[in-house]
Amino acid sequence: MLLSLELRIYSVGFPTILILILRIIIVREMEQPQSGNGGAEAVLNLEPSSSISIAYHSLFGPHDDLILLELDEKLLPDILQQRITLRGQPDEDAVLCTGSKTYSIKFVGNSNSVFLIPSSDQTEFCENSLDCKRKDDDQQGVASVIKVAPGNMELVEVAPRLDKLKLLLSENPYTFQEDLEMEDLEVVEKGNTGLYKWDDLVEKVQASDEELRSELQALSAVEIGGYWRIVDVKYMDTILRMLLHNSVINDWSLDALNEDEVVSMLESDGYPHKLAHHCLHVYGNKVDENLGRQVWKLDERRVCVHFAREILKEGKRKMESFMKEWMQKIPEGMQASFDMLEGEVLTERLGVETWIHAFSVSSLPSSPAERFSILFRERPKWAWKDLQPYIRDLSVPGLSSEGLLLKYTRRTQPTQDAEPVFSAR
Amino acid sequence: MQIRVKCKCGEGKCPEWAVVELQGVVEAQPSFQDRLQNLEIGVLCRPSSQPVYTFKVGYHELTGSKVALKKPMLVLQKTKRTGTGDTDVGTDTNSSNVELQVIGIIRHRILFKTRPKPLISKPQPAVKEKASAPGAVASNQTA
Repeated sequence: MLLSLELRIYSVGFPTILILILRIIIVREMEQPQSGNGGAEAVLNLEPSSSISIAYHSLFGPHDDLILLELDEKLLPDILQQRITLRGQPDEDAVLCTGSKTYSIKFVGNSNSVFLIPSSDQTEFCENSLDCKRKDDDQQGVASVIKVAPGNMELVEVAPRLDKLKLLLSENPYTFQEDLEMEDLEVVEKGNTGLYKWDDLVEKVQASDEELRSELQALSAVEIGGYWRIVDVKYMDTILRMLLHNSVINDWSLDALNEDEVVSMLESDGYPHKLAHHCLHVYGNKVDENLGRQVWKLDERRVCVHFAREILKEGKRKMESFMKEWMQKIPEGMQASFDMLEGEVLTERLGVETWIHAFSVSSLPSSPAERFSILFRERPKWAWKDLQPYIRDLSVPGLSSEGLLLKYTRRTQPTQDAEPVFSAR
Repeated sequence: MQIRVKCKCGEGKCPEWAVVELQGVVEAQPSFQDRLQNLEIGVLCRPSSQPVYTFKVGYHELTGSKVALKKPMLVLQKTKRTGTGDTDVGTDTNSSNVELQVIGIIRHRILFKTRPKPLISKPQPAVKEKASAPGAVASNQTA
């Protein structure tokens, strides 16, 4: 850097040379290592056979606005690049979020006396310019303590608090009514109870951006007019049936649906473009593009589960009756099997009959304590094969599934050969 | 509500703070309790090239060492943004007026874990000198 300045001197006139020389001098001064009088450097770099006085800073005080936060080395880049935020409502415990993870923050006290000595570059703690530039003729420097810290904050990785997202988006599900009111978008916006844009969700849900996006996907939410919405099940059902109906009429293969054809057909039937697309996303999977045309394949399991849910919406049904109706409702060419309904339904024997009712894991809370509480209220005892579909989505950082079972259930095994049974603790 | 943690240090240039940590409590003489500012606590010495330190507080001496922290500690400053005074209807209830700024990082501490050793002070002149200069007195209350 110095070299480039010098080269420039030769090519300019006299007055400019003076200025440039001055600049070089200033740069040199700044490049000299801080003599470290007065601050942390003096303490940390204390030479052998030397000493330094430690005194209370002229601005020593409680400084409750100064907080110590213990951080894993690997999170440092995120913090230094300002990618870290604290999220939460005033009545919630704050969480710290990186781009992809969520941490709870807790205070850990320290009974030791922890004297905090700022770096001498710390301009915040200079009462006047003299404080900052310690007298050079001090034999001994003085390092100043600004605060005695009572403890520090620690981070514990936690599962994101995503139940709230579903709650918020369920306040105002998107129904076919809204399509009719589409022209009055302004009216909709003004009377907007329970409508949330991405930025609103970030403010209200204690999760990192990545975890939030992932949950929006899991909830089959769709962004309409800038607002994230869950589409009312009845409406989705109508659109799906129309899609299936059109497929039959036009002899489309459900394994190779042409996106443009499907969407334009649904649009001509009066459904918004966005929702036609959304229907494909919810019930199908993208297949590799073929000559620039996007192709979709309907997902057998998702479609069959949809119709099963429809049938059980009104309440429990006898098994044979349910199976008969289910087979009738699923599209031609699709095979339904009972194991598709894992985590969706429960069966029970009442007398000689087997009954089936809806019990979907997607409707259960995501926190382990609440989840197990509801599961044991539904059924006091569970065999492992029945329980597993209802807890395999639970994730608690630092706790394995065995750990979860140990913590929240009591395991009994009537005899050596019998299946283990889980009940509430 | 979202509070972004700001850092104007930039990567790798966060001012490094120091910590001197001891077990127990340092108390000033009663007459100085309210005027701690600028009061000397003690003298930190490094007698040899080892990372061994002594800390002389009042008539006691502690022995300790410089340790690297297992995990770095950030010094954050919480500030309240003063209201702009405008009363527009669309006041964002979501944006908080609290800001958090990273103003330093701590990677090492000088930790004293020993029992304070009472110093048998040199005869009169030194004692008198010390007596005339206001100073802090160490009192060890075991935690």
